[in-house]
Amino acid sequence: MATRAIDSRNTVSAVAADDRRRWFRGQAFWLVAPALLLLVICLGLPLAIVTLRSFSEPQWGWQNYAWFFGTPVNLTVLQRTFAISAWVTLVCLIAGYPYAYVMTAVGPKMRLVLILCVLVPFWVSGVVRTLAWVILLQDSGVINSVIRAVGLSPVKLIRTQTGVVIGMAQVLLPFMILPLYSVMKTIDLRLMQAARSLGASPARAFAQVYLPLSLPGVYAGAIIVFILALGFYITPALLGGPRSTMLSTLIQNQVLSLLNWGRGGAMGVVLLIATFVLLALAAPLSRQPHKTGSTR
Amino acid sequence: MKTKIGQVAALGLLMITTAALAQSKPVAGEVAEGSLKGKTLTFVSYGGIYQDGQIAALKEFVDKSGVTLLSDGPTEISKLKAQVESGNVTWDVVDTGDFPPYVYCGKLFQKLDFSKIDTSNIPEGQISECSVPAMNYGVVLMYNTEKYKDNPPKSWRDFFDIEKFPGSRALDGSGDLSGGMIEQALLAAGGSVENMTVADIDKAIEKVKSLGPDTIFWKTGADSQQLAESGEADMIAMWTGRAMTAVKNGAKYTPAWQDWLVVMDQMTVPMGVKDPDAAHALINAYVGKSAQETLAKTTSYTPIHKDAKPEVDEVTAAFMTNTPDKLKLGYQQNIKFWVENFEVANEKWNALMAGN
Repeated sequence: MATRAIDSRNTVSAVAADDRRRWFRGQAFWLVAPALLLLVICLGLPLAIVTLRSFSEPQWGWQNYAWFFGTPVNLTVLQRTFAISAWVTLVCLIAGYPYAYVMTAVGPKMRLVLILCVLVPFWVSGVVRTLAWVILLQDSGVINSVIRAVGLSPVKLIRTQTGVVIGMAQVLLPFMILPLYSVMKTIDLRLMQAARSLGASPARAFAQVYLPLSLPGVYAGAIIVFILALGFYITPALLGGPRSTMLSTLIQNQVLSLLNWGRGGAMGVVLLIATFVLLALAAPLSRQPHKTGSTR
Repeated sequence: MKTKIGQVAALGLLMITTAALAQSKPVAGEVAEGSLKGKTLTFVSYGGIYQDGQIAALKEFVDKSGVTLLSDGPTEISKLKAQVESGNVTWDVVDTGDFPPYVYCGKLFQKLDFSKIDTSNIPEGQISECSVPAMNYGVVLMYNTEKYKDNPPKSWRDFFDIEKFPGSRALDGSGDLSGGMIEQALLAAGGSVENMTVADIDKAIEKVKSLGPDTIFWKTGADSQQLAESGEADMIAMWTGRAMTAVKNGAKYTPAWQDWLVVMDQMTVPMGVKDPDAAHALINAYVGKSAQETLAKTTSYTPIHKDAKPEVDEVTAAFMTNTPDKLKLGYQQNIKFWVENFEVANEKWNALMAGN
């Protein structure tokens, strides 16, 4: 009797959901129309023009792409752009994961404080933050003064890739923490207790229960951070040296200084396609947790 | 008697023609009362104190001519290109870097009509078909006085001599090609700047690379100032304005003026502006004596009018580049060469900037 009641309730709600879905299909277009319009005008159209110019300037053909792949510095910088972005993503993940976990475990007041700590740097201009890093990282800066005071030999931080990664990771950290937190807060912590009561060690409970459940957050955060990092411009320019120049700087140079819009466009298209390829390669990884994540 | 009348008549005729000529010939800094009433001009520059100073320098022109002056910026040649290509040019007078008016003369910038601009007081060699200078400054060798106490570097040759003068170096890496610096590197490498070739650029860049992996390429003026104030680099190629501010802020650095690189901004009129005459009138007013004095006083850049005597403090005066002794030491880059080889030179310079 009870089972039937539940069944019928399920059927009723299923029918209602079906109706809603049908209604939704009719109206859905209008709900997404404003965002879609904005995307087409502000992203699709310019992107199409950039792509077109990369083939049409100064004449029709593949010349700009031939130039890109025929110039060693472009390839070095492209590779470096991906390497720096990967490092930044890794640093953000290592710093952000435990932080996001703590955010789910503390009381509401403490959580507010933690969220503020993440968001306040967001409200400060990127240039100001980067210049602050210059003062911290330079040879006579705060970090090296401390290192010298404790009797160690100073470290070269400013104008190195390490410096760039540190600066970029700080700017991008919120983009890692927020998606992680939004996934982690839905994980029922009692699952960990259950795993422990079934004899799992804390490490095993984490590795086999918590970590897989949090992976969607990890992928979301990692993709956002990685893609944003690819386009970074100010931070590598100010904190880095020649050996940490990223592709955006070269694009800027072609477009603004040399007025080679065709070449600039080709560089942008190459970066975009390379990003898509990388994401396509990473996609199978991100599909995995949905299979194991069915425990929820 | 007859001859006398003839002489008088001839003299009178001469006087009349001179007067007529004088009337049509422009005088730097002057504009006819109310001549631009109801007209609007948009002046574009790089913003900040610099553009504020330029607007202040143009106040007299605005008051007298009755023009409405709008201010826009920062100058981006790519934006100008878009305006010219679409046939909708809203920038009437544009302050640009050194090279654009040479590279894009007749393409993005109009050839100026010098019967409408009085250029008689502008320092020699600074006018081109499409531009007059907007102000002068320089790239100067600044060295750490505590590091090089008794044996200071005297010229760029010393700057590029890492054996005789050990220590770290910082160069202008703000993006634009520095032709003068490449020429100095070439000279230091034992090359000659006469009949320079593209291969010479490689030779010069090798010389820059020989300064070692710790060489700094500063990205902004503020960046270079920070390097001096914190003592991060022992020798810095610096813009004079930033060098001055660093010294004022207590940096223990001194300039070596030998072969300081002459730099200027350029005043230009884009192709297709609606009222070229009004744009020319603005430039003619801008190069005037009192306008240049106001500019120098508010920005501490060097005026481009030979007789301008701005009231500035001692340190600022020490970094003004228009005194006879400094003008003698200044080094003018071979603009013609850099314009002809703009693309290939930029490519090589950018490769250096990108660590290749």
